[in-house]
Amino acid sequence: MYRYQSSKNSGATSWVLQRISGIVLVVLMIGHYILMHYHPDSGHTYDAVLGRMQFSWYRILDLVFLTLGMYHGLNGIWGIFRDYKLKPWLKISVLSSLVILGIAFVAWGYNIIFSIPYLKNITLN
Amino acid sequence: MQEDTVKIKKFDQKEWIKENISYHKDSGNWAWIYHRISGLALIGYLFLHVYSLSTLTAGREAFETKMKAFTTPFFMALEWILFIFVLFHSLNGIRIVLVDWADGARYHKTLYRVSWIAGIVLFLVMGYVMFSHEILKLFGK
Repeated sequence: MYRYQSSKNSGATSWVLQRISGIVLVVLMIGHYILMHYHPDSGHTYDAVLGRMQFSWYRILDLVFLTLGMYHGLNGIWGIFRDYKLKPWLKISVLSSLVILGIAFVAWGYNIIFSIPYLKNITLN
Repeated sequence: MQEDTVKIKKFDQKEWIKENISYHKDSGNWAWIYHRISGLALIGYLFLHVYSLSTLTAGREAFETKMKAFTTPFFMALEWILFIFVLFHSLNGIRIVLVDWADGARYHKTLYRVSWIAGIVLFLVMGYVMFSHEILKLFGK
């Protein structure tokens, strides 16, 4: 008989979410690449970043992009681990390290985005 | 029939890996392998990306000195190589979604070939977009 009671979670939800987040990421990635590489200055100077970040929608877009990317990536790694039938103790260790790693880096990213100041006087040209 | 004669094949990790490596590889199998490799590379890059942008908290000068290093031709070439992984993963991802949620299973091999061709074209276009500014700069424009 079964030695371990396996999880009731079939993984179907994460499978669907992986596809949905993947589709969203492809769309966002196209925008990201145009924004960063259409002109070299637009992606690599402080002024360009500061200027973009004056619009809260860009901040929200970046937050969504980072969160979705991290979720999609770590869920993908977890999917790879699931293929190898790990022992329960290894399973829980891998999963918890992935979750901690993900939360830590997303929090770091949020901190970076929120630390960029809003300027008081903006002149658009 | 006696119950103890029934043998359930136990999962053997080493055997499983061996079987998978020796398995006859068709386009779908290669796509699966490349998808994993590119996915791992991309999540690794995402961590690096958060780290490399962390100087934004330190203000203009720290950020610009770091960006100066990242806009050297060497790093730009690395960025271009990164685009291979991005391209493969997104184009093959679209293929996977089409196979799962549309009629893609009927023409998944064609999709694979088409995504390679589209990928190579987009890679070259990206090279032009990225390096045209640099080449113009070299000639003083």
